Amino acid sequence: MNFLTPLFLLGGLALAAPIIFHLIRRTTRERVSFSSLMFLLPTPPRLSKRSRLEHLLLLLLRCLALLLLVLGFSRPFFKETPLLDPTAAQPTRTVVLLDVSASMRRAGVWAAAKERAEVVARRAGPADQVAIYTFDRTATPLLPFEEWCRTAAGDRVALATSRLSATAAGWGATQLGAALITAAEALTENDGKPTPGPREIVLVSDLQAGSRLDALQAYEWPKGVRLIVEAVKAKNPTNAGLQLVADSADASRAAASTVRVRVTNSADAQREQFKLSWARMGATGAVEMVEPTINIYVPPGQSRVVAMPVQKDARGLDRIVLQGDDEDFDNTVYVIPPTQQKIGVLWFGSESPEDARQSLFFLRRALAETPKLAVSVLARLPSAALLPGDIEAASVIFITEALSAPAAAALREQARAGKTLVFAPKSAAAGVTLGALVGVDGVAVTEAKPTNYAMLAEIDFKHPLFAPFSDPRFSDFTKIHFWRYRKFDPASLPDARVIAKFDSGDPAVTEITLGKGRLLVLAAGWQPEDSQLAVSSKFVPLLWSLLDLGGGTMGAPAQWLVGDTAPLPAGATEKEIRFTEPGIRDAKAGELSVRFAVNLDANESRTAPLSSDELERLGVPVSAPVETKTPSKEDKVLLQGIEAENRQKLWRWLIAATLAVLVIESALAGWAARKQSLKTEESPT
Amino acid sequence: MATAAPVSTPTGSLIDAQALMGIRSLELRARSVVEGFISGMHRSPYHGFSVEFTEYRQYSPGDDPRYLDWRVVARSDRYFIKKYEDETNLRCHLLVDQSRSMDYGTRGHTKSAYAATLAATLAYFLHLQGDATGLLTFDDQMREFLPARHRSGHLRQLMHALERTPTGQSTDLGAPLDRMANLVRKRGMVAFISDFLAPLEQLEKKLLVLTACGHEVVVFQVLDPAELNLGLEQPAMFEDIESGRTLYLDPAAARAGYVQKLEAHCAGLRATCRKLGIGYHLLATDQPLELALFGFLQDRMKRGRQFRPGARAAGAGGGA
Repeated sequence: MNFLTPLFLLGGLALAAPIIFHLIRRTTRERVSFSSLMFLLPTPPRLSKRSRLEHLLLLLLRCLALLLLVLGFSRPFFKETPLLDPTAAQPTRTVVLLDVSASMRRAGVWAAAKERAEVVARRAGPADQVAIYTFDRTATPLLPFEEWCRTAAGDRVALATSRLSATAAGWGATQLGAALITAAEALTENDGKPTPGPREIVLVSDLQAGSRLDALQAYEWPKGVRLIVEAVKAKNPTNAGLQLVADSADASRAAASTVRVRVTNSADAQREQFKLSWARMGATGAVEMVEPTINIYVPPGQSRVVAMPVQKDARGLDRIVLQGDDEDFDNTVYVIPPTQQKIGVLWFGSESPEDARQSLFFLRRALAETPKLAVSVLARLPSAALLPGDIEAASVIFITEALSAPAAAALREQARAGKTLVFAPKSAAAGVTLGALVGVDGVAVTEAKPTNYAMLAEIDFKHPLFAPFSDPRFSDFTKIHFWRYRKFDPASLPDARVIAKFDSGDPAVTEITLGKGRLLVLAAGWQPEDSQLAVSSKFVPLLWSLLDLGGGTMGAPAQWLVGDTAPLPAGATEKEIRFTEPGIRDAKAGELSVRFAVNLDANESRTAPLSSDELERLGVPVSAPVETKTPSKEDKVLLQGIEAENRQKLWRWLIAATLAVLVIESALAGWAARKQSLKTEESPT
Repeated sequence: MATAAPVSTPTGSLIDAQALMGIRSLELRARSVVEGFISGMHRSPYHGFSVEFTEYRQYSPGDDPRYLDWRVVARSDRYFIKKYEDETNLRCHLLVDQSRSMDYGTRGHTKSAYAATLAATLAYFLHLQGDATGLLTFDDQMREFLPARHRSGHLRQLMHALERTPTGQSTDLGAPLDRMANLVRKRGMVAFISDFLAPLEQLEKKLLVLTACGHEVVVFQVLDPAELNLGLEQPAMFEDIESGRTLYLDPAAARAGYVQKLEAHCAGLRATCRKLGIGYHLLATDQPLELALFGFLQDRMKRGRQFRPGARAAGAGGGA
């Protein structure tokens, strides 16, 4: 038998106590006062053999109780030959989540992070499985589990090291929540085979406050997956950041003469004075600052918005640089002057653009020019010949009156090539053209006049046209009354899909797919004669939605961030462009050249450390980092002992036995005392 | 204890010693005993006696006219003086042992409390009769001495002296007797109350001195019942209250020897008393005090008859 805490055996010395007490009890009895001892002589103590035996039993019981207690405390265990090395625990599945966001570019962070990740790979035993994921906006496997398992045990560390050294910190934002979910799912999906060992995620990150955790809110963290946070500290905790304050699309033109930027300073910053200036890429490849510089004062933990005047001779001036900060990864914003996008709309109709009772009047007013967008409405008479230039420039072609058959056929071809046609017949007579546009004969269009008025009832808000109104706050179309509309049977049209219906059940908006493009049939126009649509708040958004559908506006966000994907206009070699670093990106679309100013996510500038409580709050169990210490031989023996003791738990039985012995002892002592007192009571009589 | 049962246990109308000791005031205790005793006297066959008889003597020239009994003169026109009223008044001194051995008791009260009550009872009784009572307390030395007086307030003073807690480390029975002989020149009565648990060698000689001086001596030996038969059960370390000496003792084994020795001791004391004509009363502390008083008076009456002529002769000589 071995003992885990043999020092407690010293407590065995306490066995002497009951023996001493018994001896003391025998020699010194109670004292009785007596008036005079002149007639008394000392008598030798008289002890009955029986009482001595009883006391001996009590003594033995007391000693036994103490002995058991001492043994219990010294945690005994029987040595057993360990089947496995206890230090070599069950195989662990580990996902190393390596932060490659822009904030990792701070001095000293990336090298330390890479080292930590390598340590995890090195620490892994032959049975352990390690996967390395890098994450910024998304998590990407750098070394998946399959590859780790496939590689020979000896080569794994080398593989991991080489992969890590080929990686560098990027420019992306930190979507920590999503990355953790990806890692947790990578751990839980296991080809259906249960893994007995622990599963853990080692998060190597600077844990900056700008990390987004919101994805975790709706995620139930899988049981048994623990998170070990290896936080990497930057050398300079202070960091000031520079972000572009986006102007709204309808900002006045006067404001376009300035560019507003926000300068934030971290709470623990030591510097407060910064300089802002425009800069350009010089001929030598170095950044040239351009006068004048603006001195700004930002106290720690605060932010300032500065309006930078746009330079008159701003040739090549494409960035604003913040100077005076320790960490310069977030000190540049790229600015390009806003360009106005031009969209063409072709209108086939005979109404006067100044006639306030006609639809063209409302169309022109609705598509007013903004600094970013100019829509030119080109009105043509229905009888006019189709000009290729007109059609080329138009994103959307509106038809309100009957066209000649060849014109309709030509337009159908255009639609098949990708154009969007909107057919909003003013009268049932124009309905003939509908068949011509679709390429089906005998489509009957009749005039419908509801007794009171008609309303839009069934609207497919999933369709891009109505998607902007899908929010319940905007989805109420019942205020728009339709006095009359054109009625047709959508079943007679191939590939027709009714997007909105009137309350009578007749189609109000129907989409007919034509090749690459589409034809939208509006059963009623927006002119006051037909409906109240033109004067409703839904009209302008609906028109812009139509233009979007026609691919006219590109739906560009206020500014592009690293990791965003921007669609390229038709004619480019690729459909979209993905930004991996901040800067000015040029893309060619045919003869058209598109420029994108790509900036860093503003959250990356928030480099104050994130509390791990935040993770705990979201239900992620965070453990302390594991010490990378190889156990010595003595430690191993000790660990084996602890293991065996934990398994056997002999101390519980010893404590139980102690209690039992104490119960017996109390009972016996009580019985003896009772017997003694009975004897003394009886003896005087 | 077969040796000394001085008075056979009489009727149950007597006050139980334990109940009596429950009374806190010593004076009240004494009064209870005496009044109970007096009320019982009416049924007694011995009623009508007192400590001394008063007597009239015909006036003869030379006598102090102060002592003429004018009431008799007025009634019978004859001159008598109340000679004996003053002369025969008893002067009683109570010698009370207050050594620490008296501070022992197993019946709820100690021997010293019992002895004090006895002394107070005697004092009160004598006071009622108009006798002068004095007190001498002692342990290993003299503690307090109150000369015999019959005065208001004296009784209270006496009671107060009796209430003192025993402190003496040992008992010297001879010294107070010597002192008594020196201090009290006038003949009188000496009631010696102690447990007499001390060597008796010198006692006889000292008592002889007292009796030779003409004092009438009564000895009350007060013992606890536990002392009479070593009424203890458990073997234990026995500690002498006076000296602090300890001794391991198994009472069961030591009882026979103890009782024998105690009886021998008491028998020796009794023999001495008989030899000197001294009344001896052994009182166990659980005995009613009336019995002690009763025995005391009975004894005195007997002895009064026996010694009357001598006493009378002696008494006549000591006229004031």
